[in-house]
Amino acid sequence: MAIKFNRVDFKYQGFDNKGYLALSNINVSINAEGEFITLIGETGSGKTTLVQHMNALLTPTSGNVTIFGLKIDQENIKKKKFRLNPIRQKVGLVFQFPEYQLFEETVLKDIMFGPKNYGVDEATARERAIKMIKVVGLDESYLDRSPFNLSGGEKKRVSIAGILAMEPDILILDEPTSGLDPLGRDALLRVFNDIHQKLNKTIIVITHDMNTVYEYAKRVLVMRDSYLVYDGDPHTLFSKKNIENWNLDIPDIINLLHHLEKDFNITFPKQPQNVDELLTMIEEVAK
Amino acid sequence: MNIIEIENLSFYYQADKPVLKDINLTIKKGEWLTILGHNGSGKSTLAKLLIGLLRAKSGTIRIDNEELNQNTVQSIRRKIGIVFQNPDNQFVGVTVRDDIAFGLENLSIPREEMIERIETYAQKVSMSEFLNKEPHALSGGQKQRVAIAGILAMHTDIIIFDESTSMLDPKGRRMILDYMKTLNDEGVTIITITHDMKEAVLSDRILVLKNGEVLKMDTAANVLKDKITLEKSNLELLLPLKVINRLEEKNIKNEELRSYLWQLSLTG
Repeated sequence: MAIKFNRVDFKYQGFDNKGYLALSNINVSINAEGEFITLIGETGSGKTTLVQHMNALLTPTSGNVTIFGLKIDQENIKKKKFRLNPIRQKVGLVFQFPEYQLFEETVLKDIMFGPKNYGVDEATARERAIKMIKVVGLDESYLDRSPFNLSGGEKKRVSIAGILAMEPDILILDEPTSGLDPLGRDALLRVFNDIHQKLNKTIIVITHDMNTVYEYAKRVLVMRDSYLVYDGDPHTLFSKKNIENWNLDIPDIINLLHHLEKDFNITFPKQPQNVDELLTMIEEVAK
Repeated sequence: MNIIEIENLSFYYQADKPVLKDINLTIKKGEWLTILGHNGSGKSTLAKLLIGLLRAKSGTIRIDNEELNQNTVQSIRRKIGIVFQNPDNQFVGVTVRDDIAFGLENLSIPREEMIERIETYAQKVSMSEFLNKEPHALSGGQKQRVAIAGILAMHTDIIIFDESTSMLDPKGRRMILDYMKTLNDEGVTIITITHDMKEAVLSDRILVLKNGEVLKMDTAANVLKDKITLEKSNLELLLPLKVINRLEEKNIKNEELRSYLWQLSLTG
């Protein structure tokens, strides 16, 4: 188990000293490889606070988080020789709007910055930059360009390459596709899926887009008012009962399926995994 | 009556890299227009030109029969307002009340009327109970509603929503869409910039931009089913229309299903 939350509460202090609980009694475990997790929930439900605990940017108010063997709690964090760098390297966190954090003269220097900061030598950092720019779907010619002359989607990819160059085991992305056009969104999601499948890394994506959840995730975490209320597969999540009880936004595939079942009085044999499967199923019925 | 008339409008930062090329467009009073296009197609630039945040390199913009230029920009900003994408980037006030007041302070409106307008429009977007709160304590959807109230309080005739729902959660998004509908029903001219076809279908007409030029301008229904135009713009057909296409490809004729799917697309 790479990351394990044990009865974690987190309280933001606030100006009025009353504070509020952003996380309540969180217990969850995440593997270092092979997971594709989406994290969903309303604004203010605690999603970002949760992932900030995954690489020790925040320390639980009570309870603890063990990250690659290092126990993060109020007691340990106060110790003088407590070093967080190793886990920050293992768990890469890409913030919302990572493109605001590009600052170097060239894309190459920007991607090399992270690994060099963690003690990787110049030549190795350069090698990794050349490798990672391709992983995110851009070619080597980008390396000499200024990051500021790139499109929004390209900037996002460069900043993700920078995190990948640190060779984290787990990659966490906070709303990585918001503001991208559909083609740019799909291209980026395929990049994450490639990293997940080819490099066998665990990917955690925060999103509001239920189509992303349905078509890419193997596992879904749902936050609600500081509680983790669902931890399971996307197909069970979008069952009729859950949609009604939790007022979930429905993925397009499920939405269309439900409409057809209701208005044509038919029952499809199963939930399709993706758009292609749905099209084939409808084809069968329409004949 | 045309409330916006754009003629031969062009804009660039570097002369050899045009951002908008020779745009001609008229928008009727009370109309709801969607602007679609890939990232970098010039959608937001067009919005910024319309509210006078950028100055055109050539061409003219007339808003409510007044030509936009340095002398008229202040008066035109009373007619047209904009809600941006990122709810965090548009707050200046210490409280929600200050924030709604900000635009009004430039209009030299008597204090009593100002107070009244703030109350009225905060109520209209269901934010009355938050008037004394700090904006940063609000959710994204609540912040966008405050931004809308600020614009409405200035009695603008036109509101531009520049991807204003793209950063919101599903609940916040639905609420803002409902306000767009209500406002449009009340006669406000709406311009929405979006990548979301489910949002675009709510409007009367759709303008599609590609690399700074008009690729298509038509009714929402006609653009919606135009697969080639959408693909050229990095956009996708709505799912029910993908099904219709598939049935056509396979030569499956099922008129009942076809018209059902078409109706489903039109309701978003």
